[in-house]
Amino acid sequence: MTDTPDFGRRRRWLTDSRRTHLFAYALVVPVLLLIIGLVAYPFGFAIWVSFTDRVIGSVGKFVGLANFEYLSRNATFGAAVSNTIFLVVVTDILKLGIGLGLALLVNQQLPGRGLFRSFLMLPWAMPAFVAFLTWRVLYQPVGGGLNLVLTQTGIYPHVIDWLGQRPTAMPSVILASVWRGFPFWFISILAALQSIPKELYEAARVDGANAWQRFWMVTAPGIRQVVLVTALLSSIWTANAFEHVWLLTQGGPSDATMVFPVLAYFGMQTQRIGEAAAVSVSMMPVLIVLLIAVTAVMQRDDER
Amino acid sequence: MSVMKSERSMRRNSGSGASERQRMIVGRVLSYMALTIAVLLILFPIYWMVITSLKLPREIYRVPSLWPQVFTLDNYYKLLFDEGFLHPILNSLMVATTVTVVSVIFSAFAAYSMVRFRYRFKGLIGRLILFAYLTPGSLLFIPLSILMAQLGLSNSLQGLILVDLAFSVPLATWLLQGYFRGVPRELEEQGLIDGLSRMGALLRIVLPLSAPGIAAVSIFVFTGAWNELLFALVLVSSESQRTAPLALNYLITSDVLPWGPLMAGAVISSVPLMILYFVAQRFMVQGLTAGSVKG
Repeated sequence: MTDTPDFGRRRRWLTDSRRTHLFAYALVVPVLLLIIGLVAYPFGFAIWVSFTDRVIGSVGKFVGLANFEYLSRNATFGAAVSNTIFLVVVTDILKLGIGLGLALLVNQQLPGRGLFRSFLMLPWAMPAFVAFLTWRVLYQPVGGGLNLVLTQTGIYPHVIDWLGQRPTAMPSVILASVWRGFPFWFISILAALQSIPKELYEAARVDGANAWQRFWMVTAPGIRQVVLVTALLSSIWTANAFEHVWLLTQGGPSDATMVFPVLAYFGMQTQRIGEAAAVSVSMMPVLIVLLIAVTAVMQRDDER
Repeated sequence: MSVMKSERSMRRNSGSGASERQRMIVGRVLSYMALTIAVLLILFPIYWMVITSLKLPREIYRVPSLWPQVFTLDNYYKLLFDEGFLHPILNSLMVATTVTVVSVIFSAFAAYSMVRFRYRFKGLIGRLILFAYLTPGSLLFIPLSILMAQLGLSNSLQGLILVDLAFSVPLATWLLQGYFRGVPRELEEQGLIDGLSRMGALLRIVLPLSAPGIAAVSIFVFTGAWNELLFALVLVSSESQRTAPLALNYLITSDVLPWGPLMAGAVISSVPLMILYFVAQRFMVQGLTAGSVKG
């Protein structure tokens, strides 16, 4: 900033640099207050509540680790832990495979690839609740599109109650989640692919590398970072997603698809707030590790 | 003998050229086939949603068909007038619009401050914003519902708006930082020399130049608030305050599952957004790759 001539008021407090500083702080403070009030404080409050026997209508008292002990003996909680891990790992692998495969296909010099890209992005543009309501209808034994296609094409002659029986419930939730979630991977990986310089491929070709070698020597290093960030983000979001399980199965049949957020919601509905809070707090350690990892990677990218 | 040999070698030569071209053509055909299959698999659920919303009950339940014999708008009529879906749609519009306007304004200020100025604790604030953006709602819905009850805001759209801001403001701030970084500092300094204040430079130079970014961020924030189900479920108990996702959620928890009206609701709440994404695709992809956006 240019210095304005100072007519005599040498020792004024509000110098230009102070003024700029104040302005900078004033701009950021509303957002800061909002985050402290609506994210940071509730975050800490959740931890506190998980150590109390709070119920609706009573603040409760400090009970130490009693809620967590109760959960560790609870079969439904055990199911939620293993289901959440299984769901996250399997959907991430599938989304990576499908996203990468389609991104490689669209990244070729194909006429009309823009149109394909637009269509492949569509599930991402669909609100999550709409997507999972639609899949709920698709999976229905009566009037469901999936059974209709399978029986009419003769692939499988019998009607399957996809969401109503243990062996198919979890795969059905996974399929719907992958359908809705892969475009995020697809778009991220495609953007990374397009930022790899063409010369690198030419150089590798001149050196006699075949397609497979070119993939590992040029493509893989070029997209590694993006795949890492996407995997971390996707894991956080999938582990904490509520709509997919809630709208498809509500955790059933008999806990076959129970996951953390749905269990916490049920805990809240039964008014045992302390235990419900303990459910969400018990996934905090893993979450914090993921958060720190992704924050480190994203801020590094950001400063580059 | 020699003639035959040369002929054979010639054939081999031309053969290898042709086979390379053939390989390329086969590769293309296979690529198109794979992509077409993928697109069909992607589109089928969307097709099913639309087609179910246009079917008569007997074609949904008794004689299901891939292509309806009779098209009807009955389901839309039922949903809008018997189920009163217009009210939740208006609630959702109100919530999502307010959340978008408020968070874009505050976030633009904060993001500008973060990008243009140097001051103490900036790194810490930046980390806090990113942390807040990534903190999932499933962790916060219990404490936030207690907080809203204490503030006397449970079961109100104001409470829902406040809670949505907890997610949209960090998201918008994070994304807008990326866009503002792309605005050349020189343009701004020129404006300052020409007599604009800092605020003037932000409003007259930075914001107009980041218009595509702001549009993309607005769409992301709007969609986020429009989609929100968990908090609406926890906070809202009376029918008059229901949002569109909540109203549809309660349709499936009733005894008879009204697939037709349900899919009509799905179409109404998704098709405008999907068209918007389709049209504004380029901005949206830039936004996604700039900061990674929750799906």
